[in-house]
Amino acid sequence: MTTSTEPYVLNIGPQHPSTHGVFRLRVVMDGEKIKDLDMIVGYLHRSMEKLAEERTFTQNIPFTDRADYLAAMTGNLGLAIAVERLAGVEVPERAEYLRVIFSELQRIASHAMANGTLISDAGAWQTPLLYMFREREKILDLFEMTCGARLTTNYMRIGGVAFDPPVEFWPALQELVDELPDRIDEYHELLVSNEVFLARTRGVGVISPEDAVNASLTGPVLRGSGIPWDLRKADPYSVYDRMDFDVVVGKSGDVYDRFMVRMSELYQSVKIIKQAISQIPSGAHKTDIPLALRPDEGEIYSRIESPRGEIGFFLVSDGGPFPYRFHLRAPSLINLSLLNELGRDAALSDAIVTLGSLDIVVGEIDR
Amino acid sequence: MDSPGIVIGFYMMAGLVLGSGTLVFLARNLLHALAFLVISFLGMAGLFLTLSADFIAMAQILIYAGSISVLMVFAVMLTPLASRDNGNTIYVLPGLLAAGGIATFVGFLALDTSWSGPATDFTTTIDLIGNLLLGKYVLAFEIASVLLLFALIGAIMLVQISPSDPEEGEGR
Amino acid sequence: MSSDTRPATPMSRQIAEHRSLLDRALGLPKLVLVALSVALIGFVISQILIGYMVVSGQLDGKWYDIRDFGNAMVSLSDAINSSGMDSRIASTLTYLIPTLLGATGIVSVVGGWLLIGPWAERRLLAKFQIRQGPNRTGPFGLLQSLADALKLMQKEIIIPRGADRFLYFAPPIAVFIPAILGWAPIPWSPKMSYADLDVGVLFVIAISSLGVLAVFMAGWASNNHYSLLGAMRTIAMMISYEIPISVSLLAVVLLTGSTKLSEIVMWQSEQGVWLIMLIPFAALAFLFASTAEINRTPNDIGEAESEIVAGFYTEYSGMKAGLFMAVELGNAILVGALMSTFFLGGYTFFGLETWIPGYLILATKIGLVYFLFVWIRATLPRFRLDQLMGFAWKFLIPVSIALMFLTAIESSILVRWDAPSFLSLGLIALVNVAAAVGLTFVWMRVLFRDTDLSAPPAPILTRKMGGLQAAKVLRG
Repeated sequence: MTTSTEPYVLNIGPQHPSTHGVFRLRVVMDGEKIKDLDMIVGYLHRSMEKLAEERTFTQNIPFTDRADYLAAMTGNLGLAIAVERLAGVEVPERAEYLRVIFSELQRIASHAMANGTLISDAGAWQTPLLYMFREREKILDLFEMTCGARLTTNYMRIGGVAFDPPVEFWPALQELVDELPDRIDEYHELLVSNEVFLARTRGVGVISPEDAVNASLTGPVLRGSGIPWDLRKADPYSVYDRMDFDVVVGKSGDVYDRFMVRMSELYQSVKIIKQAISQIPSGAHKTDIPLALRPDEGEIYSRIESPRGEIGFFLVSDGGPFPYRFHLRAPSLINLSLLNELGRDAALSDAIVTLGSLDIVVGEIDR
Repeated sequence: MDSPGIVIGFYMMAGLVLGSGTLVFLARNLLHALAFLVISFLGMAGLFLTLSADFIAMAQILIYAGSISVLMVFAVMLTPLASRDNGNTIYVLPGLLAAGGIATFVGFLALDTSWSGPATDFTTTIDLIGNLLLGKYVLAFEIASVLLLFALIGAIMLVQISPSDPEEGEGR
Repeated sequence: MSSDTRPATPMSRQIAEHRSLLDRALGLPKLVLVALSVALIGFVISQILIGYMVVSGQLDGKWYDIRDFGNAMVSLSDAINSSGMDSRIASTLTYLIPTLLGATGIVSVVGGWLLIGPWAERRLLAKFQIRQGPNRTGPFGLLQSLADALKLMQKEIIIPRGADRFLYFAPPIAVFIPAILGWAPIPWSPKMSYADLDVGVLFVIAISSLGVLAVFMAGWASNNHYSLLGAMRTIAMMISYEIPISVSLLAVVLLTGSTKLSEIVMWQSEQGVWLIMLIPFAALAFLFASTAEINRTPNDIGEAESEIVAGFYTEYSGMKAGLFMAVELGNAILVGALMSTFFLGGYTFFGLETWIPGYLILATKIGLVYFLFVWIRATLPRFRLDQLMGFAWKFLIPVSIALMFLTAIESSILVRWDAPSFLSLGLIALVNVAAAVGLTFVWMRVLFRDTDLSAPPAPILTRKMGGLQAAKVLRG
């Protein structure tokens, strides 16, 4: 005997505690089960790509802060590298190391945030999130020391970085790097063997390797599904080819694996930063480039590994000071595209945790 | 029963029961009626308390106000158009007839019974009830429990999803 | 690089300069400190003196143990009865005055807690989460809840369109009734309980079943899917977890042989043992099921804010939402009181209750249970609905019932066997612990026979990049 039920529509977002910004899910539900799910984006659209066509290449760097606002450094770096490759600008050695240090710091901060919010979505009352914030706070302090801003750093420049870090920066960084592994161990203790957390995340939102590749997912979401693909190794940029580190790959592609990949990448990032500190040469932190840089006519697609995946910049230059076309390949948007498949026939709670594990930043999706 | 507090309590509770009972059939919204019904159940429990029958009072709250009402909530929610369209139905007449019949029957019984005085002083009813249930009336008690067990098993059988059923049911 | 230790930014400087609560308490003016410590020492000494006088029997007959307000009430009734008033007025007065005083007492205990509780919870949570918590309003932020309440009262009352107005306004008040009523049978001292009902345990169970309907009405009347989802989840939880609560209380009743709460406490005091030592599984089941009943983590799926916003009270604004939150808090300490009474020896503490007032001991125990709740809330994520329902129906209820039968056998042996209590009770405790552990183990094995319970595999480290083929190689 079955009781006939009536599906109903639930609007999750744009104002909702777990949509990570202004992102809307229109869910058709049957009881606690999701029957169908629409993702509605565009609430944060600022027409960034069009605006970029009216700005010089350097003036576009602040836009990349506001695209992926949780990983401003890698956004900056992506654009800087794209323009450098387009215009053939040389970067001093010291700047390359500074770039590596700051993008890895940013990766730690961003992964901490991602994992913290994921656990908050699973229902822990913000404790892990705030523990993660402890380290993120110190990293943001380091950013503030160096470039004056904590979130929208605007630090990378075409041909180097904006400032050389002050003298206080290095001991503070050393202290942070020394204590970070212990702190990450602490999170492991708190979370990794937590039965409730395991029950909520294992076997939930499984992405098969084939699906992950076909949907062109990138970043920890792809690696969580077992595909060993990291642009820092696969297509090295900056001085990553001189660093000794491993790429973390999950096994089953569920929420837990994506969480663990991010967790373990923290150790690798610390390892990279340590090597960069020991190897960093002295010298200039920036090459001088003309204020209105005019690259030769041409186009380029340049990609780097942001905390969320492959952040790519497609730039077309017509020889003028402004880009003729500016396109941002946002990893969040493409990683999100699988949510429809993952959420269907899942419980509402599982869909929320899955969404949290995809680690989206709405600024980057809408641009 | 003579204490003024208890007398006042009795009238308050009686008023509550009668008032909310009246509202039960005056309310056109099924859920409103249900809310009033629960209030009337609670009033009944209060009436039992004024009679020093505290076990019955607690059972009244636990079973009627706590459980039966939730059952009714589910019944209402499974009813299409509940609380939206409760117009007149053709069942008014048979309903009135049945209600009148029951009222006459109960009233006749009440008039016919020779009401003895209030039960003499017992301080606790729960011991008495326990001893009686497991002593003198143990057979009835056991039969009732077997009946409930059958009801439980029957309920499980009803909602069980058979493995051959391709359309998975809604059982949790 | 002499500035190694200098905090980097203004914010971290501020954090580094922050002094702890104890430091700031010691930094109060000398006069206040002296007055406070004198008051504290005086209170302790006076309590010990009174305790001494009570123990030595100097106060018997003429005057009562004034620390037990129940005695004061009895003497008040005696005074009214012997004053030569008309007997009907006198009986009304003896009925009314203790009733009103007791009700005032309960309401002020709950009300006082509603002022202190949110502050305590938020401060504790903040300490768990390495932050400060409310510390701006009043000394140490103590007036925070008052300020919050004032703010909530000023807020606009928003009634959603399509809401059922009668059913929408009733629930915030209706949920308060069980939260207050539940305090009635709890004994604070030997004679100090508002209504020491013979059917105390039944009363507790009955009262706890009352909240369901108010929650449902709130969810239904709000005309919002989040509310309805929250209400349905809460009802499902409450109905399921009422059964383990009742079964564990049944085990208590079986052992103590009484449904009267004061006698349950007295039994524990006389035997010199807390019931949590004798029937640990029942106690833990009670605690866990209670968190489900009162919607606290890890069982707060009824108002899981990451999923369904605020559950059944999503659409309530201003003080109406405040009332729901207050009830949640009130219920938490009510559960603390019940837990202490049933399983932690109530107002007794192995003889200490003769020296300091029983209600202070009970309040301490309530505070400790509440601290446990806050701790759990700060630590654990929440379960999914089906996991919680499965836990109740597949694990908690069968195991509780099996252990209750065991307790029944033990208690019938206990009344017939004339052994020293430490021997018999020790044996019971041993048997119960062993049975609980063994049954849990066996039952879990049966339940999860098809599930992989091994620790999750650690992620793989690799340096070889590639696509699907590389993934296959990695997985082996």
